[in-house]
Amino acid sequence: MKYAAFDMAERLEQVLGDPADPESVFSYARCADLDDADEFPADICRILDDFGLQRRYIPVEFGGELADYQDCVQMMRMIARRDVTVAVAHGKTYLGAVSAWVGGSSEQSARLAETITAGIPVSWSLTEQAHGSDLLAGEVTAHALPGANPPAYRLNGEKWLINNATRGGALCVLARTREAGGPRGFSVFLVDKATLSPDAYSHVPKLHTHGIRGADISGIRFSDAVVGAEGLLGAEGTGLETVLKGLQLTRTLCCALSLGAGDHALAVATRFALKRELYGHKLADLPAARHKLATAYADHLLTEAFSVVGSRAIQTLTGEMSILAAAIKYLAPTRTEAMITQLRRLLGARSLLRDVHEHGSFGKVERDHRIVSLFDGNTLVNLNALINLFPILLRAADNATAPDEEGLRQCTDLAVQLPPTRHDRLSLLPRKGSSFLLGLPEAVAELTRLAGTDDGLAGLASSAGALRDALEDLYRAMRTQPSTPLNVPAPCFVLAQRLAACLGGAAILQLWLRNRDAALAHDTATTPLWRNGVWAQLALDRLLGELGVPHPAPESAYHTAFEVLHHQVSSGQLPSLFSVPLAEARS
Amino acid sequence: MTSLEERFGDPYQASNPLGHAAIVAADERADLAAGAEAVLDDFGLNAEFVPRELGGRLVEVDALVRRLRPIFRRDAALGLGYGVTSFMAGLNVWLGGSDVQRKSLADLLLRGRKVSVGYHELARGNDLTANEFAARRAGESLVLRGRKEVINNVDRADAAVLFARTSDRPGGRSHSLLLVDLESVDPDRFRRLPRFRTLGLRGCRLGGFEFYDCAVADSSLVGDFGAGTDLALRSFQVSRCVMAGAGLGVLDAGLFAVLRFALARRLYGQPVAALPHARATLAGAFADLLTADALVTTATRALHLLPDSASVYAAATKYLVPLLLEDAMNSLSVILGARFYLREGEYAGFGKHMRDLPPLAIGHAGSVSCQLTMLPQLPRRLRELGEPAPAAVFAASAPLPALDLTKLRLLAPAGDPLLATLRENLAALPGTGAVRTLTAALDDLVTHTAGMPARDLGVQASPAALGVTERYSLLLAAAAATGYQRHNPEGTPWLQLAMSRLARRLTPSPAPPADEREAEDALLADLVTRAEQGFGFCFDRDRVYRTLSN
Repeated sequence: MKYAAFDMAERLEQVLGDPADPESVFSYARCADLDDADEFPADICRILDDFGLQRRYIPVEFGGELADYQDCVQMMRMIARRDVTVAVAHGKTYLGAVSAWVGGSSEQSARLAETITAGIPVSWSLTEQAHGSDLLAGEVTAHALPGANPPAYRLNGEKWLINNATRGGALCVLARTREAGGPRGFSVFLVDKATLSPDAYSHVPKLHTHGIRGADISGIRFSDAVVGAEGLLGAEGTGLETVLKGLQLTRTLCCALSLGAGDHALAVATRFALKRELYGHKLADLPAARHKLATAYADHLLTEAFSVVGSRAIQTLTGEMSILAAAIKYLAPTRTEAMITQLRRLLGARSLLRDVHEHGSFGKVERDHRIVSLFDGNTLVNLNALINLFPILLRAADNATAPDEEGLRQCTDLAVQLPPTRHDRLSLLPRKGSSFLLGLPEAVAELTRLAGTDDGLAGLASSAGALRDALEDLYRAMRTQPSTPLNVPAPCFVLAQRLAACLGGAAILQLWLRNRDAALAHDTATTPLWRNGVWAQLALDRLLGELGVPHPAPESAYHTAFEVLHHQVSSGQLPSLFSVPLAEARS
Repeated sequence: MTSLEERFGDPYQASNPLGHAAIVAADERADLAAGAEAVLDDFGLNAEFVPRELGGRLVEVDALVRRLRPIFRRDAALGLGYGVTSFMAGLNVWLGGSDVQRKSLADLLLRGRKVSVGYHELARGNDLTANEFAARRAGESLVLRGRKEVINNVDRADAAVLFARTSDRPGGRSHSLLLVDLESVDPDRFRRLPRFRTLGLRGCRLGGFEFYDCAVADSSLVGDFGAGTDLALRSFQVSRCVMAGAGLGVLDAGLFAVLRFALARRLYGQPVAALPHARATLAGAFADLLTADALVTTATRALHLLPDSASVYAAATKYLVPLLLEDAMNSLSVILGARFYLREGEYAGFGKHMRDLPPLAIGHAGSVSCQLTMLPQLPRRLRELGEPAPAAVFAASAPLPALDLTKLRLLAPAGDPLLATLRENLAALPGTGAVRTLTAALDDLVTHTAGMPARDLGVQASPAALGVTERYSLLLAAAAATGYQRHNPEGTPWLQLAMSRLARRLTPSPAPPADEREAEDALLADLVTRAEQGFGFCFDRDRVYRTLSN
């Protein structure tokens, strides 16, 4: 199946060339060397600038080319599959800017758009050394200058572990504007370093990290840095809200990094298994090894499907992003980490060696990808966010709130052109619950009807029914938890993990239902995945296992998946639900 | 004798030349911390690898594992790089070598020299019988040709034990083991290959050997011509247990690091250690560490007491323990947050430990080769579980019979003494959900393995069949855990947590996880007490010199 959102990604691929060609600037070989040297991939970032990638970070209403978040996700994925470091280093500018798109005025956004278009990296300064993810404890302050006209603020304090803090020309900084702090005690400031006096700030040197070694992970210290009122994004005291809304977008987009890392790990491991002779057989011909690869691929397709749905939801189910973002940001990185771990065991000693197999890039991608579950709210923060939504989700379920049918359709029917993003519709709470969860019973019913006339769908229908029952069980368990406890009991985190799994499963069913006809209309290499709901059943197999109600997909489904994976990897296609030729396909 | 822990000193003291800061700095240079090897030289570590009758200190394998722990707790690359590979090489010779070979190798090690162990060829991985490095008989000598790769200490080893093809015929008699004095081979026909750059265990000097029709004396042969595979697989039974045990030190250090962090760090207005999730994670990792310790202790003691069963027990231990340890390190890293990702600062040692743990498990016995050791044996072993194992296999202070490597067998007999104790122990425990789950899983395993078709017992096994080895290993861990607690009662409810965690791994459940806060609190209290009083986190509560932050 073709999906138009990959068009730009394919163009970018052609510009970047075959990553296996050591002569190309953005090659695995070169990225491995840069990584050894902890060196920032400056020249690679320049190629991306020349391509105009940064204009894709700017929404169209502010003069940029960001019309469909999906384009952005898939382009970032193409970069991450070569080197997560580069994706983190370049993509950071979107994160840096998102506070303006969400909370700034049109003038502020337009001004920032010019900065970005000029190729100046923008950074997002949220965390501090002593407080990590506890943003409300932040100690960087912005004091209004008494009597200043026009009004201005003085920034003091240090932001730590900030991507591109040093290389960035502008930063969005979360600062305390009310002594007592609290949810309305912080504001976001857009700070242009060029307007600061040189002694008003200094950089905390780059910190050395286990992965993304070349990235500029550093910090910035302000000492009486004066920022004019034009730097204050939104009203004073709205900083935390702006940041939390911005995080709904960035957490969702982070899936691109997991997808790219997964693409690479899968391809390296599959190539290895296809070549490796062991015990008189090709490794890929040994049933257990083949199953391991197919299982990894099932995880990858699950992550891809949920990511596609999640990033389309930004423009179609905007008010539900609080729950979707948290679920994706939990599920995509942890699934991908687990998948890479399994593949590493297949690779054995080669995963340890720098120069023996594909430039040691398997070990590199494992290290690099671990950043994804850390930044923009780590695993615990996202699970906590889901736990906070338990009451509102239960209320919606109890009231039998109707799902947003039109939003669901636009979100999951890939032929639908997405409506423009309405950042003003982002909401800290999904007031009407989650349409995917509320729509699950009807999706299951639809599948059951389809299975009534098509025996091939019996397996998927049965798995879908199990998912619906698991959600009911989960609701029951959620009801027994104390609402908004001071200290969340540990078992609640397991319930939150299960909530993410249910949501992912529901999204997967919708995606399959709304696109199966289109996928089966033309016979392509990915058609076997869509026929009889093979990929959806595999993905549900993976999720139902986590929900404690195993529903193994038949071995034939794993076999089909392996055949498609084999074909995709050996013909230079992306390991994906969609047909996407990579640069390798041409060499 | 001053303990190794004391010699190493407080890892958190910034000025300690063998502290985390120095070790991480050395790792950056792909080196070991200066002076670390001298401490081990001074301690005479090699003597631990040499049997007492040959002048060394090796008597009981479980004691050896405990003595190695401080080294791996400090730096896994130091443990492997200094010389656990010398021990692996030695085992083959202690088992199959002539008196002359045993004596000369013992003397070499006791002089503090290194011996490499050369099994691995990059193109062949764990598939020993496909090895291509060859020794051809020519008159009174053996002519060596080919390469051994990713071998520790090649640049400084005086001797090497090499696994060589000695017959073109397929099968188990086609390879032999050689003990080669590298100092006396013809330098024109032998080369030490350059070091491999590695992404973990970076301080280890992994290289290779290449021989070009290089003649060595016939007397290099260890054991019989064609006995290489047999000797290797029996030596592995010991080294697998020891390498699994080595990882315990890594988790012990990781657990301390995260406990230290959780006690000092404040989030949302309270110490991280007050957050229920963090408490559950720390307690869970502690329970897993103790489970792994129980399994390693039981498996190493079984080498002495149940040597004919050791092939299965060692393989299960080497398969499962690294998985338990890696999972535990992973969940601990979530508590540490971004700090586990930094190669600098107070907690850089944790990230390094986490990175070094998985490669420690690869060795010459990766997880699939362990599974393939267990798989064909299970139906016969489990048909009747037979007589339960003697108490001494669990009772840590009971005297052990001397280690007799010649009693190790490639194929274990029918019956499974350890699982037989599990059945008894489960019946004697209060019938909690975990106990019921484990009982059902044991019954299911016994029934299931009885009906396994022959095609499912080898490399062509279906994924489900291979999965049986994981279930077997988990139940073996339950046997070790229940047996250990029965014969060495601990005051904390560690077994309760250990059992429910094993049960969850064995059988997914839709029921919401039980609230085990009381047990978690008790385990956490034990952890804090040990940390404050300077004791390690394994059963033996060894003395450690590491400080919590102020």
